[in-house]
Amino acid sequence: MNGYPVVKGAAYTLAATPSMVIYNGTTQTTERVVNPSSEYLVELPKHLRSYEDVISYIPNQVYIGNAHYDDLANTEFPYYDKKWEGAKEDGKFGCIMPEDEFYGVMHICDVFELVMLENSFAEQVKEKLAKREMFTEEQLESILKNNADQAELERLVNEEHSEGLYIDQTHLVGVVKRAHDVDVNLSAHVMLENLVSKASNVISLIELKKKNNFDPASVEYVIDCCEEACGDMNQRGGGNFAKAAAEIAGYPNATGSDVRGFCAGPAHAMLHAAALVKAGTFKNVVVTAGGCTAKLGMNGKDHVKKGLPILEDCIAGFSVLVSADDGVHPQIRTDIVGRHTISTGSAPQKVIGSLVGDPLKAAGLKITEIDKYAPELQNPDITKPAGAGDVPEANYKMIAALAVMNKDLDRSEIANFVKKHGMTGWAPTQGHIPSGVPYLGPLMDDCMSGKVHKAMIIGKGSLFLGRMTNLFDGVSFVVQANDGTVGGKSAAKKEVKVCKTANYYGTKIAFASEGSEHGQDNIDLAVELAAKKGIEAIVSEGETAHKEMEAALNDGTAQAAVTMHYPFPIGVSTVGKVITPARGKAMYIANTTGTSDTDRVSALVKNAIAGIIAAKADGVEHPTVGIANIDGARACEKALKKLKENGFDITFAESARADGGVEMRGNDLLLGTADVMVMDSLTGNLMMKMFSSYTTGGQYEAMGYGYGPGIGEGYDKLIMIVSRASGAPVIAGAMEYAANLVANDWKKIADETYAAAHAAGLDDILKASAPAKAAEAEAEEEDVPMPAKEVVTAAIPGIEVMDIDNAVKALWKAGIYAEGGMGCTGPIVQISEANKDKAVEILTKAGFIG
Amino acid sequence: MDLENQKRVLNISEEFGAENVVVLLGAAEAEAAGLAAETVTNGDPTWAGPLAGVQLGLTVYHICEDEIKSEVDAGVYDEQVGMMEMVMDVPAIHEEMENIRSQYCKYL
Repeated sequence: MNGYPVVKGAAYTLAATPSMVIYNGTTQTTERVVNPSSEYLVELPKHLRSYEDVISYIPNQVYIGNAHYDDLANTEFPYYDKKWEGAKEDGKFGCIMPEDEFYGVMHICDVFELVMLENSFAEQVKEKLAKREMFTEEQLESILKNNADQAELERLVNEEHSEGLYIDQTHLVGVVKRAHDVDVNLSAHVMLENLVSKASNVISLIELKKKNNFDPASVEYVIDCCEEACGDMNQRGGGNFAKAAAEIAGYPNATGSDVRGFCAGPAHAMLHAAALVKAGTFKNVVVTAGGCTAKLGMNGKDHVKKGLPILEDCIAGFSVLVSADDGVHPQIRTDIVGRHTISTGSAPQKVIGSLVGDPLKAAGLKITEIDKYAPELQNPDITKPAGAGDVPEANYKMIAALAVMNKDLDRSEIANFVKKHGMTGWAPTQGHIPSGVPYLGPLMDDCMSGKVHKAMIIGKGSLFLGRMTNLFDGVSFVVQANDGTVGGKSAAKKEVKVCKTANYYGTKIAFASEGSEHGQDNIDLAVELAAKKGIEAIVSEGETAHKEMEAALNDGTAQAAVTMHYPFPIGVSTVGKVITPARGKAMYIANTTGTSDTDRVSALVKNAIAGIIAAKADGVEHPTVGIANIDGARACEKALKKLKENGFDITFAESARADGGVEMRGNDLLLGTADVMVMDSLTGNLMMKMFSSYTTGGQYEAMGYGYGPGIGEGYDKLIMIVSRASGAPVIAGAMEYAANLVANDWKKIADETYAAAHAAGLDDILKASAPAKAAEAEAEEEDVPMPAKEVVTAAIPGIEVMDIDNAVKALWKAGIYAEGGMGCTGPIVQISEANKDKAVEILTKAGFIG
Repeated sequence: MDLENQKRVLNISEEFGAENVVVLLGAAEAEAAGLAAETVTNGDPTWAGPLAGVQLGLTVYHICEDEIKSEVDAGVYDEQVGMMEMVMDVPAIHEEMENIRSQYCKYL
């Protein structure tokens, strides 16, 4: 219903590595083993592209965001002989980097002194990389360490099983050494593959930071989804490329893990990230992957045979930031997810059905309602000459055919469907890289410009390549444009018109909306309800909600604030306002969340004063005060009566029950007998929730005005509390309550009332409970002998339940036999009729009764 | 055709006799189907796998050719192949298959 995670940023990067095509691509390394003198190996170097040609290649410009996928679609096929006008190595989503600098990045990424560069080459690379402003000074300096001269590099390659790093095809400029002399998983070959994956991952993670506006320290989790495995011989796929790359790329607060699923890995990882964010486990998760040396020149034989350049000459990387809903960026529909299951089978119809047809059908969507599909986005310039056809187009045709079978589309419309809902593939064929995710960057633009409302990302993987299963795999998910009403900032929401003729027009209230259990719709409705009363709510959300709220209060933008939680200092009572059911009368509950004092009785007394202030400021001229019949009520009554005796203006309520009194029973709560109902904060909180939600069954607080303002001596901010369970009417009610307090100058009333309470001896009265306590403690310690037992028929009420035993002992001390007990209105001390008057006198003197 | 599959085709032919084996293809394109058909008849044209130079001359069809389609329950065919049939260029596939069969099949 709301709060779907968003795709907040995306980065796509390429490293042009033509020499690695020769030395590290498996097509070439296999050929050197099987057929070392093959014509292909002789011809290959002539087909390697220059760095300039890599940059101006249109699919590469689309990948890093300088050209649009539509530009590619409008380019006449093939693409390898065309150049993009104004091609640059830096793009909206990322960059292209040449081979020499990439080796420098590998050196920075190596923390085990495995990468060594030729001394002067290292100097040059350091200078070049410094200009990119990607790495820290310390990281750049590290390039100059652990290097060697040319002769030593050659020795390492020839004698120590090191893998060479070359530029210009044959010029040795560095090595990757083996990390162990026996362990094949730490061999130079594996270390090179893994360091290349890490380095390309790091480049993407850094570009993600540079090209998108977010704090890298806010990223809590990073998921790597490449197709490599790192670990030694005891844990071959031990893993965590994610954390290793994030460390170098500067994400200090992240941990992470690796998700694998062959080419479907990125789509799986996106689901993991989206679920982590949707669950609230993390707010910011990055999905990321580096590229793969093995796949360099994979289709090289076909390309060379057909006279094409080697088009698979780049190590790719990508990173995507998945964040909590911000109301702006496109949302990942975690509830529209396709799965190729174990029982799906391998028939294309079944595969497409499971990934496209089934999830859409379950969501009540037609196949034609998805504006863009992003299946495998392989560049056809690479795949077609190799006999693999146009991969995305084949997928679009299958999706169209499924739509025909589902009767969502007329058969004659297949070609149009492919054009309208498809894209020309632009991704390098680096396995996991083309797997739907290259579209996430352009999709942000498409969604935010209104071009696309819904898109589907589809990842597919050939699990059988691992020889563990014959199964195929795939997952898919829908991404939709954010309409801004589902968890976003007020700026992106529809305009709320504040009623200018309503009573409270002109009141501005800062509203930290984060945390509602009823979703964004509830928040929006609350804002609308308040607007009808003339109140303008300034909504803030997310991690900075409270900061923004306080800033608005401090600079006067808002006169009051409403929030779902707030750390009030000790000394502050919150005075809630509810509608009581018997007569529909309003009642103030003092206190509902705050801690006015650590001493229970003092807290109750202070709650009463805060309650009087809130009621008066809300327009009740002479509020009546009742004390809920709870622990400490009698002592509180005594203190309040003393205050009144001393001239403090307080009107006591009288219980509606036959025996009356200031102590209020449950009946009085329902009746709203007192305007201000005094109680401790836990009881008050309980009452608030019951009074607010008893009509709805409990989960939705539909009635009343919320948990009230924090009121305390010297506390000058008007902050109203609602709960996460508060419904829109309660939130709007809290705003109205606040508007009233503002209109009646609550601060002045508070200052005057506290001054009057002090003038009436509040401090002494509160202190007075302390000596009484000391006396009680003393009495407790004394071993007082019990006088002769007699029949007790008279009762003295009004003693605290905790004090009953002490009161009894105090009477015993005076030679009066007494028993403690429970009367119908509370605790009592029982004595003989004959001793009653004397006992009352003793207990009054000792401070047990007022 | 990948090397594993070539090996399996070879083994099956040896076990049951080449005259008793029919190879059924499902490739989505005429060119790919033709390459696979050639592999099981005239031998692996890439000279990489176990069928390199091995002329089995097996009978080979594509699933969407009428000869096979008419043998399959219409409901099952629709469920398993119906969608892909819309996507595939069936006449081109058929033509390519006919071409291979006429040249290399030994048991028709």
